[in-house]
Amino acid sequence: MLALSIFPLVFSLGLTFTNVNLFRRVPLRFVGLENWARIFSDEALLETLVNTVIFVGGGVAIQYSLGLALAVALNRGLREQRLMRVLFLLPMMVSPIAVGFIIGRMVFSEGFGPINDMLGALGLPAVAWVTSPGVAKLTIILVDTWQWTPLMMLLILVGLQGIPGEPIQAARVDGASEWQIFRHIVFPLLLPVSITAILIRALEAFKIIDIIRVVTGGGPGRATESVTAYVYNVGAKQGDLAYAASAAYVLLFVVIGVSFLALYVMRRVQARYE
Amino acid sequence: MKGRLITRAFLVAAAFVTLFPIYWIVITSFKTQLDIVVNPTYLPWVDFMPTLEGWRWLLTEARGDVIRAITNSLIVSGGSAVIATMLGAAAGYGLTRFQYRWRFWRNEDIAFWFISQRMLPPVAIVLAFLLMFRWLSLLDTQVGLTIAYTGFAIPFTVWIMRDAFAQVPLELEESAGVDGASAAGIFFRISLPLALPGVVGSMLFAFVFAWNEYLFALMLTFQEATTVPLLLASRITSFGTHWDQLSALTLTNLIPAAILGIMLERFLIRNRTEGSLK
Repeated sequence: MLALSIFPLVFSLGLTFTNVNLFRRVPLRFVGLENWARIFSDEALLETLVNTVIFVGGGVAIQYSLGLALAVALNRGLREQRLMRVLFLLPMMVSPIAVGFIIGRMVFSEGFGPINDMLGALGLPAVAWVTSPGVAKLTIILVDTWQWTPLMMLLILVGLQGIPGEPIQAARVDGASEWQIFRHIVFPLLLPVSITAILIRALEAFKIIDIIRVVTGGGPGRATESVTAYVYNVGAKQGDLAYAASAAYVLLFVVIGVSFLALYVMRRVQARYE
Repeated sequence: MKGRLITRAFLVAAAFVTLFPIYWIVITSFKTQLDIVVNPTYLPWVDFMPTLEGWRWLLTEARGDVIRAITNSLIVSGGSAVIATMLGAAAGYGLTRFQYRWRFWRNEDIAFWFISQRMLPPVAIVLAFLLMFRWLSLLDTQVGLTIAYTGFAIPFTVWIMRDAFAQVPLELEESAGVDGASAAGIFFRISLPLALPGVVGSMLFAFVFAWNEYLFALMLTFQEATTVPLLLASRITSFGTHWDQLSALTLTNLIPAAILGIMLERFLIRNRTEGSLK
């Protein structure tokens, strides 16, 4: 575990102080803080950082709400719930490559996609899923949500199993409504699991790249490029590994900052219920 | 029962949104290249003539590759899911039942350190892995990929299992202790069975994660240990995308994971702990 985690971390950190380049044969040289100085005047990095925060914030909020609703709906003892649990898990099992190509590219295609076709049949105007900067961001979030809401549902469903039945039955005897039971008993008890689910999903979402590369290619312009996609472009396409590592570290700092903040806020919410 | 009606309406709508794209993959696997890129068509025999070309490719030309990739994927994903869940259960149990101190480190900090392992973008660490694996002769081996995926999944399985054990009532463990059960006995016969939904959730998560991982499989394997995502990606070429083959392969790839989901679903049901406390 230590070898798997520390070595890459130190290795990447070391890279940020060098001029290592994949394509240009230049003698290895330590450049001090040159890469780090570049970071602060890099507007492209800032833009991709803002995009990433939009994807994570928007995507995770929608996925958590839907996942919570699905998990609760599938824990009420409906006859079909066992079949439906498996059914709703399916999207996360579909390979992200296929999700990007077949769903992101074909289903949302502006020319030959079924969504615009069906909108047309209903007399609605076609939507510029990938060519409008604003809508393209939404498309990325929608595809991400389709794939990853099941994970939220799975983790919350697991959490629901550990909730004791007695307080719920007692509240029901006292005449509490289903909504009151959810709001004051179930939801507070789900908070620890919710924190885990949100954190897990957010950490993965911060690294979003596959869907973007396939569906929009980061465009139009830079409207849907994420930091990871930017790091990939700089490192693997332009070969500037040293600067790519520096940009990756910026993302790491942002993610650590956001995680601390999110954990702090969620613990405060939790403390209010205890 | 208005509540039930709303629940059902919500589930039906969600099922449509969930299934439509999968239906689209299914019909795409039976379409010709021309049917795919001209107009959207929805029903076989009604608005397009189904063809078995994609599936024929999968079962003849690509058969050897497909079988090898699925075998590799099963071994690597299954192995890493089981190992990561076992280690995650051990660490998660420790983090909920004991208080650790090391300098200024507390349980919360240890848990955060675990999860922080997943914060660096994979593109930033894959090169380090490549060097490390070459040095250890783990490149292009099932063992190597299993180790990498286990390492990636552990931060998550620790957190999932920590939550699961936190929900197991301490009274049950204490009363078992009073009855003379050993620490190992309590863990394996009381805590672990009661945390079974967590074990299942953690296994499914780790399995799916490894099952569909692409970047590290691409960098760390090249022939013997290649997994299904690499085969999928090979259908997308610079000359165009073989949509029918891509779709057929996607469905083939989905089936083992779905079977695992069906097998494990039954363990996601509630444990009746209420009676045992009395």
